[in-house]
Amino acid sequence: MKAIKLNKIYIWTIALAMFGCTDLEIEQTDSIFTDLSGEFTGVQAGASLTALYNAVRGQTESQENLYALAEVSTDEFVVPTRGTDWGDNGVWRTLHSHTWSPTHQRVKNTWNDQNSNVYNATTIIDSRSNPTPQQAAEAKFLRAYSMFWLIDLFGQVPFRTPDEGPDVNPTVMTRAEAFDFAVKDLTEAIPDLPSVGPSEDLVRASKAAGMLLLAKFYLNKHIFTGTGTPESSDMQQVINLVDDIAAEGFALQEGYFELFTDDVDTETIFFTTSSVGNVIWNGLHYNQIVPDQAGGWNGFTTIAEFYDLFEGDPNVNTPGSGQEERRGFVPTDGTNFGIGNGFLIGQQYDANGNPYKDRTGAPLAFTKELPGLLGNNERTGIRVIKYNPANGAFANHKIVFRYADAYLMKAEAMLRSGGDPTAMVNELRALRGASPLGSVTEQDLIDERGRELYGEQWRRNDLIRFGQFTAPWSYKEVSGDDTKNLFPIPATAIISNPNLVQNPGY
Amino acid sequence: MKITLLRSFLLLGAFLCFGMAKAQTVSGTVSDANGPLPGASVLVKGTTNGTQTDFDGNYTLNNVEDAATLVFSYIGYKTQEIAVNGQSSINVTLEEDAQALDEVVIIGYGQTTVDDATGAVAVVNSEDFNQGVISSPEQLIQGKTAGVQITQSSGEPGAGINVRIRGTSSVRSNNNPLFVVDGMPLTGQDTSAGGADVGTGTSSSKNPLSFLNPNDIESISILKDASATAIYGSRGANGVVIITTKSGKTGQGRFEFTSNLSYSTPAKTFDLLDRNEFLTALPEYGGDPNALDFGSNTDWQNLILRSVASQNQNLSYAKNYGSGNIRASFGYGKQFGVVEGYAQERLTGRINASQRFFDNKLKIDANLTASRINDDGGAISNNSGSTGDLLGAAYFANPTWPARTSFSTGGSEINPLQLLNYYDDVTHTDRFLGNVSAEYSLTDELKAKVAVGYDDSSSEKYQVQSALSTGIGNAPGQGQGALSTVEVTGKLLDITLSYNKEFDNSKLTALLGYSFQSYQRAGKNITALGFGSSDLNSMISDLGTATSTIESQLDGRYQQFGYNNTGTFVNRLFVDEPGTFDVASPTGVPISAVAGDYFDSTDELQSFFGRAEYSIANKYIVTGTLRVDGSSRFGPNNQYGYFPSGAFAWKLNEEDFIGDTFSTLKLRLGYGITGNQEGLGYGNFTVRQRFAGIGIDQNQNINAPGLAIQSFTNDDLKWEETAQANIGLDFGINNNRFSGTLDFYHKTTNDLLLQQEAAQPSPQPFYFGNLDAKVINQGVELSMNYDIIQMEDANWNLGFNVAYNDNMVEDFDGQIQTGEINGNGLTGAFAQLLAGGQPLFSYYLREFGGFDENGISIYPNGDVQEFVGKSALPKVNLGISTSASYKNWDFNAFLAGQYGFYVYNNTQNAYFTAGIIGVGKNVTQDVLTNGESNANAADVSTRFLEKGDFLRLQNASLSYNVPLSGDGTLQSLRLSLIGQNLFIITDYSGLDPEVNVPKSLNNIPSLGIDYTAFPRSRTVTLGISATF
Repeated sequence: MKAIKLNKIYIWTIALAMFGCTDLEIEQTDSIFTDLSGEFTGVQAGASLTALYNAVRGQTESQENLYALAEVSTDEFVVPTRGTDWGDNGVWRTLHSHTWSPTHQRVKNTWNDQNSNVYNATTIIDSRSNPTPQQAAEAKFLRAYSMFWLIDLFGQVPFRTPDEGPDVNPTVMTRAEAFDFAVKDLTEAIPDLPSVGPSEDLVRASKAAGMLLLAKFYLNKHIFTGTGTPESSDMQQVINLVDDIAAEGFALQEGYFELFTDDVDTETIFFTTSSVGNVIWNGLHYNQIVPDQAGGWNGFTTIAEFYDLFEGDPNVNTPGSGQEERRGFVPTDGTNFGIGNGFLIGQQYDANGNPYKDRTGAPLAFTKELPGLLGNNERTGIRVIKYNPANGAFANHKIVFRYADAYLMKAEAMLRSGGDPTAMVNELRALRGASPLGSVTEQDLIDERGRELYGEQWRRNDLIRFGQFTAPWSYKEVSGDDTKNLFPIPATAIISNPNLVQNPGY
Repeated sequence: MKITLLRSFLLLGAFLCFGMAKAQTVSGTVSDANGPLPGASVLVKGTTNGTQTDFDGNYTLNNVEDAATLVFSYIGYKTQEIAVNGQSSINVTLEEDAQALDEVVIIGYGQTTVDDATGAVAVVNSEDFNQGVISSPEQLIQGKTAGVQITQSSGEPGAGINVRIRGTSSVRSNNNPLFVVDGMPLTGQDTSAGGADVGTGTSSSKNPLSFLNPNDIESISILKDASATAIYGSRGANGVVIITTKSGKTGQGRFEFTSNLSYSTPAKTFDLLDRNEFLTALPEYGGDPNALDFGSNTDWQNLILRSVASQNQNLSYAKNYGSGNIRASFGYGKQFGVVEGYAQERLTGRINASQRFFDNKLKIDANLTASRINDDGGAISNNSGSTGDLLGAAYFANPTWPARTSFSTGGSEINPLQLLNYYDDVTHTDRFLGNVSAEYSLTDELKAKVAVGYDDSSSEKYQVQSALSTGIGNAPGQGQGALSTVEVTGKLLDITLSYNKEFDNSKLTALLGYSFQSYQRAGKNITALGFGSSDLNSMISDLGTATSTIESQLDGRYQQFGYNNTGTFVNRLFVDEPGTFDVASPTGVPISAVAGDYFDSTDELQSFFGRAEYSIANKYIVTGTLRVDGSSRFGPNNQYGYFPSGAFAWKLNEEDFIGDTFSTLKLRLGYGITGNQEGLGYGNFTVRQRFAGIGIDQNQNINAPGLAIQSFTNDDLKWEETAQANIGLDFGINNNRFSGTLDFYHKTTNDLLLQQEAAQPSPQPFYFGNLDAKVINQGVELSMNYDIIQMEDANWNLGFNVAYNDNMVEDFDGQIQTGEINGNGLTGAFAQLLAGGQPLFSYYLREFGGFDENGISIYPNGDVQEFVGKSALPKVNLGISTSASYKNWDFNAFLAGQYGFYVYNNTQNAYFTAGIIGVGKNVTQDVLTNGESNANAADVSTRFLEKGDFLRLQNASLSYNVPLSGDGTLQSLRLSLIGQNLFIITDYSGLDPEVNVPKSLNNIPSLGIDYTAFPRSRTVTLGISATF
């Protein structure tokens, strides 16, 4: 009897010693957390800021989301369906034809990306995360940057504090409220941001980057707040901020395509180490190869109207076709492995100067016109390339903010507040090898912005500010519908947050 | 508190005493038709005085009163009662119990018989298993049981398997039932790493159950309804599959040797254009035959596929020596796939031993198995893009290209031979599973059992793509590789008390238990770029060396490291200020850029459970169970869940008013609540930070990741809950010569665990939460068995099972896309949508209305996707089996079918359209006549949706038992010829409609999508089995 009793106790003792009665608490072996109840107690500000910059870097690299919404919806880019290629469930066609819906995948991803940046920035800024003043300022800059796009694309911005779990429906700021929120962030951030001139260090936020973003807010204020007309005081803010940026050491630089390389230049104000491979290869043909990349993806092209904004032979862009520097050229002698700069039209040549063929065996000559969004062969459409693969097929240096943009913003602010920016604009044009304009109108300015900043993610924002986003252009189905100036709130977002109200027209 | 109660109960049990009596001694031998029967139970009726027979079947029983009756029993045999009447020697021959329904069914923490079962349980014994090339246990019972749908995702050796018991009730991955091997619940997680993307897309993990040697398995029980599975609480909702391995049964020591030699051929191939057909067709699709003629005539598909022989050998030794038994086995097999380069090699060893001590009061059982699996793979992936994976590239490769590995296509197309010869994928998985239990009979009625289990699986997968390859990923010119390791360690402690008491006219069985289980999952993901060698074996070795060299030179704990020519950093989590630290670059690393990411998490489960069964007059049986499950995966507000069930069975055939027509007639009613927590990972209820994903870009740069928030705070996070009601009827006529089972069930799953779309702003786009929606499965299962001929040397049996299941999602307002479709122009395409009012895996497509006169697709309902009223879930599953024997010959055939489901043919969508030949790639013959223009975009539509209905001759075998005198060494010798997948009847145009390439999106799994699925084989096996 006693033996049995001892035996049982013995087994229990062994069992408990081996495994114990557990409290079911997880251990910090895989990740760090402070409180199992889920209460927010702050994040590691420094390392979280790194993650936030990395997120922006990844989003800047992608051709699919923010870039697609800002570019493919405009006259700068169209991604036609070529046989089966680039059908992609219609996401590209609906962007260009302005027939997108609240379930558009790219619209949803962009919403999620930018809002997630806002949340992560908020956790860093939170005092429980103990950020240094500069860390808080950088996070505020990045929050304002993402909010800029949310305000610009969607017109309303949800907000959540770090203490609010998934059971809390985020509050929603109107476009004007969000504008005030972001401007406050920037105004607070700029004094704590470092003063950094042209250098490799501009991969993080600087005073100049903060000021350029703030200038963007003021330049677009009448759109964002719905007043419709720009106020002179806001335009003066833009002018002052651009002057302050110049005072940080930034200036226009000669040699347009040399800006889009890894080298330090006087124009770059904020860049990411994103690979530029997407924007190189998304347009080049499958058979256009360089030693470190076997061919492009044959998608993105521009439309004839946009190409015709540039001076030069309307149908040829080989060297010496009367084009200005920014239109680039198609090399016929194997320069840059045969891959041109700017606008690639007509027959393309390989690194030995031999004409390329396409995959069906036909000569690879890019056409100015397309049959439409569907039914394209491999050769339709002018290809656009700003970063040349000769500098690395996947070089890690993509410009986000550039001084020439600030410069043209100042010119625009002058024009909108009664000044005459003709001399300013012509100074830039002279630098780019373009003939001077007699006088600068609004149309001249939006065109000049197109010529200078194509493919740099500003076209949609610019066209809306100049009232031209709903104007008709090729392969665009819907025009004249002002509700297209905002994208729909994604269907999934409406379902997950009842405080959001769908934008008019969707 | 619960522990204290349990302990008091244990101690109380220990004080119960044995009665003593004085009388004579009886001895004798218990045997069956074949000879002495060791381990049979002999009991003086109405007392606790009993013993078990020894190795020679002998027993001796003291203190037997003259008037006593002895009860002789043994599982699987009819119990006999013999009055002593003063005899001192009683010899008994037990008869095998012919009633099929009296089979033993292993249920959770115990066993019962089919006759006494109250829940919907089915058992398949080894003699009914599928035969031939079997790479994992589920294949043994594929199609054998009503309501159990087993789908192999492809024909790849060791491919993953989907097991669905009574439909699909969860909307995330890990929907398989809980597998319990000899009492040890296995983790539902993968035990090997899935394939990283080194250029052609990602691939799935291998089947985690391949480590079990099918030859070692005695029986597989399937617990289907909640009354049977509720004892497994928060893991019982998807059903439970209990695998029992063989023990030493036979008396004398016996060796058994089986050897199989198999020959597999691809069951079906695509009818692609040859050189001349291709060149002739080109002009019509805008191609220039002169420009695209590279001069050869190559059958690329044929170069990639093969017919191949595989083998499997097993040797086992089993012995029962009365007070215990032992079985040891060793198995070796190498199965080659019908695609070049694919093979799975398996070595398994097992020792099962059982020993009784102290007058049989203490019984110790041990089941130990160790295995090694070596998988050789290739560049076949789930989601290759426009250039295809190994199969896709071969399907649409230009047939005029020369069949040379060195041939470069010049552009972005891939030479399939380069994928074959410049890519390698090798996985080694070692697994040890051991459990030891001690059961002590405190009294005749009360037994206590302690079981401990240990399950350790460690797997490493190497993938390398040589620098020699062209047109693919980052590998050209520098070489690319990935090393992924996973180590899963499971620990188990079960303590149970069982009570078994027979009263005059009733019987009580009760069980109380405590269980603790922990699962640790750790491992690393290494990616590398810039190899010094282009030789695949050297690359694999360099990858291993680089990893160990770097690890040995880095100090302290770190989650990640990045090593390249600009320096080395580590990301540390467990320091005062987590972040990135530059460290001295390790020396002697043979690769120029290496990045590593490490993970290590442990989840725990703690449970208390009980079951009571009361049987009255052998007519009415009532069962109740309760499990209280605590899990470290649940949020603080819901750490413990309660899972009750109840069932009632009424053996109508025991009632006088039924008469003798029915040998079996049993009505079963059951209801229970079970949970499911699989797929819910570690710490998803609290704000956790970890460094974000790391990678190496094309230029060998490694950006140091920052800290990212992994999960939201969600105190209420818990299991998902399924309530299931079951009504069943078991019937048998003419001594069960004709028998069957009919079941109706209704399952409602609530609190769906799902990675939901987070209301932005949110740290992650999805968070784990319990969704307030329902998934309802309801259905009918019928299985029947008829012994058409029962004669001394001729038997013929026909079996049939059919199950109907209806699935519906309700009360869900969201819409979540899944079923990613890949290929040319199909980025972002999807084919399925999860939404309320639709079954799971409902297709959401454009309605296709043919081609217009220009060969462009017509979409009568517009160029928009919509529900098309079709789902990938089969409505009906069917199994038909027959076995016949005549003298020494046996014949078995087994047909399996699935009906009422649709397959999306992504292979055709991506590769076999006019647009593909329009860009100079090969297509199938039918493309030339389908009226499509090369300018047509092959958008996702019902054009590629096909009925998947099929009936397959899954298994047919003919065996001959060689007549032996029995005097020689050789006790038995059996020769078999087995055919697998000999034919399939289907209208599906792809290779095989039983297909499920994982194409999840938004963390929602897909079903029924065929995208370059590994071709299924037709296999003929010659087997020999001998005992000596």
